[in-house]
Amino acid sequence: MTNTALHIDHIARVEGHGNVRVVVADGAVDTVEIQVVEPARFFESMVRGRDYSEVTYISSRICGICSASHVVTDLKAIERAFDVQPSARTQAIRELLVYGSYLQNHATHLFVLATPDFVGTPDIFPLAASDPALLNSALEVKALGNELCTRIGGRSVHPITAVVGGFTHEVAPEEYLELAGKMEGMLPFMEKAVDLFNSFPITDISTDGDMLAMVQDGYYPIITADTARFLQADLTFEAGDIGDNIEEYAVDRSAALFARARATGRPYMATALSRINASWKHLSSNAKVAAAKAGLRPPELNPLKNNVAQAVELVDALERCAGICRRLAADGYAGTSEPVPFSVKAGRGVGFTEAPRGALFHDLTIDEAGKVVHASILTPTAQNLANIEADVRKLAEKLVGEGIAEAALKLEVEKLIRAYDPCFSCSVH
Amino acid sequence: MGSMGNKGNRGAGPSDAGLRKAGPRSGTPRVVVVGLASCFGCQLQITNNEKHLLEVLGQFDLTYWQLLSSAPMPEDFDVAIIEGAVTTEESVQVLAELRAKAQVVIALGACANTAGIPGIAAKGFCGRPAEVYSTLPSVCGDLIAPRSVTSVIEVDYQVPCCPIDPSEFLEVLSKAFYGSNRPLTEKTMCGDCKRNETGCFYPQQELCLGLVTRAGCGARCVKVGRPCSGCRGISPEANLASARESVVRYGLAAEGFDAALELFNQTNPLLQGKD
Repeated sequence: MTNTALHIDHIARVEGHGNVRVVVADGAVDTVEIQVVEPARFFESMVRGRDYSEVTYISSRICGICSASHVVTDLKAIERAFDVQPSARTQAIRELLVYGSYLQNHATHLFVLATPDFVGTPDIFPLAASDPALLNSALEVKALGNELCTRIGGRSVHPITAVVGGFTHEVAPEEYLELAGKMEGMLPFMEKAVDLFNSFPITDISTDGDMLAMVQDGYYPIITADTARFLQADLTFEAGDIGDNIEEYAVDRSAALFARARATGRPYMATALSRINASWKHLSSNAKVAAAKAGLRPPELNPLKNNVAQAVELVDALERCAGICRRLAADGYAGTSEPVPFSVKAGRGVGFTEAPRGALFHDLTIDEAGKVVHASILTPTAQNLANIEADVRKLAEKLVGEGIAEAALKLEVEKLIRAYDPCFSCSVH
Repeated sequence: MGSMGNKGNRGAGPSDAGLRKAGPRSGTPRVVVVGLASCFGCQLQITNNEKHLLEVLGQFDLTYWQLLSSAPMPEDFDVAIIEGAVTTEESVQVLAELRAKAQVVIALGACANTAGIPGIAAKGFCGRPAEVYSTLPSVCGDLIAPRSVTSVIEVDYQVPCCPIDPSEFLEVLSKAFYGSNRPLTEKTMCGDCKRNETGCFYPQQELCLGLVTRAGCGARCVKVGRPCSGCRGISPEANLASARESVVRYGLAAEGFDAALELFNQTNPLLQGKD
């Protein structure tokens, strides 16, 4: 393959609209471009001027699948601006809500969107005939994620019960116990699924970019900390200082802004793999065993391993959430989930959470009347775009050097992009 | 096929609805699913029918669904399911093509039916791109103020709400496949809360848009302690003037009521004409 122009128009089995272009000239990789053509909806402009209480309604609609993350990130930002401290119980329930979206997201991505890449089918439906047990169990994990979101958040997409300071509704203790039982029952399947994803052959490459994840002493955090770390640069910063640490920049081929680390100028990965690299030792016991068995240990720099990382996180999420549910049922967290009283005041707050796909920041400034005067939203996929582009180039250079055929290169490029589990609609917002 | 619902008609199906009856082919209906400006949540809600997903998918030939498959868009199909709001001239063209090819068009979710949350940007649209981009990337296309699918083409069936209820989607799908012109209810939500015995937010001086919003969702938000945000769209039976009077009677501002309605109904002509 001396000269070729590979253009994948509308990458399938991802959320949103993105294209990729790889040009090979005289046997060398020339141009590599990720084009994000998802329609701009202008969320940062739409929330401006709206009351703080409407912000979660609006920005959860950035993304159907990680809507719970957008809600909790907004609540963290608003509570920081208003100096509100929610109870330990509320924090625990919020963690459950976000983990509900992890179950939905990772199960959908792994089994429905990524698996066809490795079994050689255009979509998941042939699996219904060839391996119905696997497909049924996979759909059960996804259904459990929906059930968790529905019971905690009021519905499976765009949760509504989470408000500033607490929740408007909470389920009975026996429902928590029922959920815990279901999660524990799903663990054996997920542990086997880690082996399955680890058995899929992947190209040996390593990213040259950095990795970003939330960090917390002694815990695997997804919402409970405000500290982020660039793992390669070993640079730790508080979410409030995001502007000093992350630079967003426009490229004409993308409706989404790209991002890079300000200190090093490097692109970076904000994914499940980043989290596992950052907090491996705080994984739940079964998840750690599954990860070790799959050879997934930090530092793991192959972006294609993000699939295995998500599978390990599902084991972690099931075990962790079962524990949280049992503790909630036993009234083991301080306080109630009733919204705590607060006063509206002018201020700025940066909400930071680990959405299923990676780090998510909402930077809100609110005036004394409670209206949003400025908003800046940085989604995981927007942070990953520059790194995806660099990794696609690295992959293409390796494979073109090995003399790969065009059709095979196309599939490998798509596999790599899908391994990032991109959400192009999130990235544009 | 026979007479369609009126342009922008909410809920009325074609008078001789039902592919099997109306369509020239008696084979399995060929379905395409297309997303415009949206969060993809309503497409996900289709897959959130896990228990019935494979049975449902067995009813038709899903020839194109970019979210789930890398198979390309076919030239020929019977049913187009469209999610999302219309935000570019290019999308207007796509809709015209889908309408010309499909016998049945289903508008999926609030964005397609009322312009939904993206519709908020319709107000003062011209100034918005500059608030986000210093230079608008060329891939953004030829931007237009957000609007609903139903305001651009005729649709045969509607699945309202943000997000859609997966069961309601199945109900509408079976109407489209097997024939029924039973329209969406035109009642407002308040009756549902009475039946659910959930009480009312107004005595607590809290705004709720159930006063004017089309019923049919079972007032699910109210059941978990949140007022209605109007995602099902303003009911054709709603009396906005009277609703504003009620709001004021409870000591709340009518302006706040109108502002809240903008969340999901910004582009509704009833709101545009309020001045």
